[in-house]
Amino acid sequence: MQIIVPIKQVPDVALNIKVKDGEIVQEGISWVISSWDETALEAALQLTEEAGGEVTVLSIGTAKVQEALRKALALGAHQALHIQCDSSAGWDSYQVAKVLAKTLADQDYNLIITGKQAQDSDAGLTPTMLAEFLGLPQVTNITAFKDVSDASITLHRKGDDGIEISKMTLPGVVTVNDSLAEPRLASMRGIMMAKKKPMETVDIHSLGLAPEVLQSGGLMTEVVQYEKPDERKEGRRFEGDETETVPEVMQNLKKNIGLFA
Amino acid sequence: MDSGVNKNWSSGDEKLLLDTIDHWVENEVKPIAREHDQEDKYPEELVERMKELGLFGSTISPEYGGLGLPASIYAKIVTRLSSVWIVPGGIFNTHLVMAAAIERCGMEAQKQEWLPKMASGELRGGIALTEPDAGTDLQSIRTRADRNEKGYLLNGTKMWITNALHGNCLMVLAKTDLTAQPAHKGMSAFLCHKGAGYDVAKKLKKMGYRAIDTCELTLDNKQVVPEALLGGEEGRGLQQVLGGLELGRINVAARGAGMAEGALKMAVRYAQERETFGKPIAEHQAIQLKLADMATKVEASKLLVESAATKLDTGQRCDMEAGMAKYFASEAGVYCAQEAMRIFGGNSYSTEYEIERFYRDSMLMCIGEGTNELQQIIVAKQLIQRNKI
Repeated sequence: MQIIVPIKQVPDVALNIKVKDGEIVQEGISWVISSWDETALEAALQLTEEAGGEVTVLSIGTAKVQEALRKALALGAHQALHIQCDSSAGWDSYQVAKVLAKTLADQDYNLIITGKQAQDSDAGLTPTMLAEFLGLPQVTNITAFKDVSDASITLHRKGDDGIEISKMTLPGVVTVNDSLAEPRLASMRGIMMAKKKPMETVDIHSLGLAPEVLQSGGLMTEVVQYEKPDERKEGRRFEGDETETVPEVMQNLKKNIGLFA
Repeated sequence: MDSGVNKNWSSGDEKLLLDTIDHWVENEVKPIAREHDQEDKYPEELVERMKELGLFGSTISPEYGGLGLPASIYAKIVTRLSSVWIVPGGIFNTHLVMAAAIERCGMEAQKQEWLPKMASGELRGGIALTEPDAGTDLQSIRTRADRNEKGYLLNGTKMWITNALHGNCLMVLAKTDLTAQPAHKGMSAFLCHKGAGYDVAKKLKKMGYRAIDTCELTLDNKQVVPEALLGGEEGRGLQQVLGGLELGRINVAARGAGMAEGALKMAVRYAQERETFGKPIAEHQAIQLKLADMATKVEASKLLVESAATKLDTGQRCDMEAGMAKYFASEAGVYCAQEAMRIFGGNSYSTEYEIERFYRDSMLMCIGEGTNELQQIIVAKQLIQRNKI
């Protein structure tokens, strides 16, 4: 089975991200693979470990995204494809999906697996658009794979009312829920072996995309500015005998939040 | 060490590797440290993970299945790990000292037989040097190795032997000639598997550095084959052991620096959380002075470790530098743990807080791998030798 895993390099949201004048402060940002994409990679690795085949990771961006691709190789991906551009900052899902679709148009694969959304934008639009542009079936928010073959796959999807089970013909696109698998750690041997794995770099301008796709005119949506969410207020601890604290908690809920009023 | 260093580790690889270590330490080591320490329980689950990560082959050459990490990167791994708990590092440090001795002094057949299995963690070893009446003064050991038709028969008692219980092999220093003068010419090193004649008399109870097996080991007619003699030549054991001391001391220095950093991190956090007289104690000058001293010692420790490790990696003499790093960083570990205890105040004395473990563990670094008093003597002697008038 040949699996493509598009990955996005995003700011590490575990760190304190600063916003100034409506822009994210780039200084001090640590860049990581979007966590849902790490889950997608883990799923792809598990599938190929069970059914055979290879995993190709793919990312769009400056030379910096090679760090993310190198990590993916260290985790076990077999090869990497870097679509190099001067900057993909400010791109929307439509543009990214267009570039991915063009890149993958003449590739051989059975499955494209991605995270259900990116950790920075949280849009969740790119995989759906990608499937549409490629004319492929898609199932989103997958929690498990079953009955895997090169021609079809059974998918467990987390829906609003429970788990939906569907069978999809391949090739196709799936997005994964983070409950699907716990991403593995890169072993030190994996990091050493990653050096020997192939990483191809393709200039984005060589893909033959319509020029407007890569320009601001290609945007379907635009992020106007960023704002920090309000600081979460510190909680209050009620200590002491429950016969005293419970009424006190109730009183506070009524008075301050309007509950049970 | 220098011959096996894989020079292909780039700064990008180093970052990726240290990110992996940080993730592992935060998510798998930190959550279990307190419980294992308090129950003096061996961290079996971490050992399996350390095998997967490749830590048992960190400094073993790639040609023998290891990673060939330079000492400078290896020391950073040890520092990061020790900033949370020193025990896991102890499990592979002593193992790697044994492996380094084999790689440096062993015959090719010995390297082929031992190193790939040690790199994978299938064999997990340590070094058995110290005895009840011989530590720093190794020439006074009493363990003997008598030649017989099957090889050598080992008899004696070893003390403070890490990995003796949960590991499965050791490098044992013994006397092959009791009358040799000087005594070191009658000392040899042997590569021993567990088995008949290898008896762990007891797991030693310790103030700190708990959860790891530090044992008293009895060798009672332990038979080894002739090929167990490291390097195939008698009388070179002490030299073989001492030849790896710089790496060992850099290891211990890295652990001291890590403990100092861990104590500092906890203190910095606590000082901002804890309030007295209406403000966080971090705003009191008495606390600020402590934090400043701690932070300075942490930074200085890490730089000394890096300096010594870089010298080792580039094949330069580094006995004085390794001694300085070991001496300073281990004392910094104790200092920072003590100062953090004072910053934590009464809470420091509670086992609900991690800092008391650092206080108990840190002193080991001043004693192990050659006492700090010995390091001072080494530094002074080297200083004079390098600056003779």
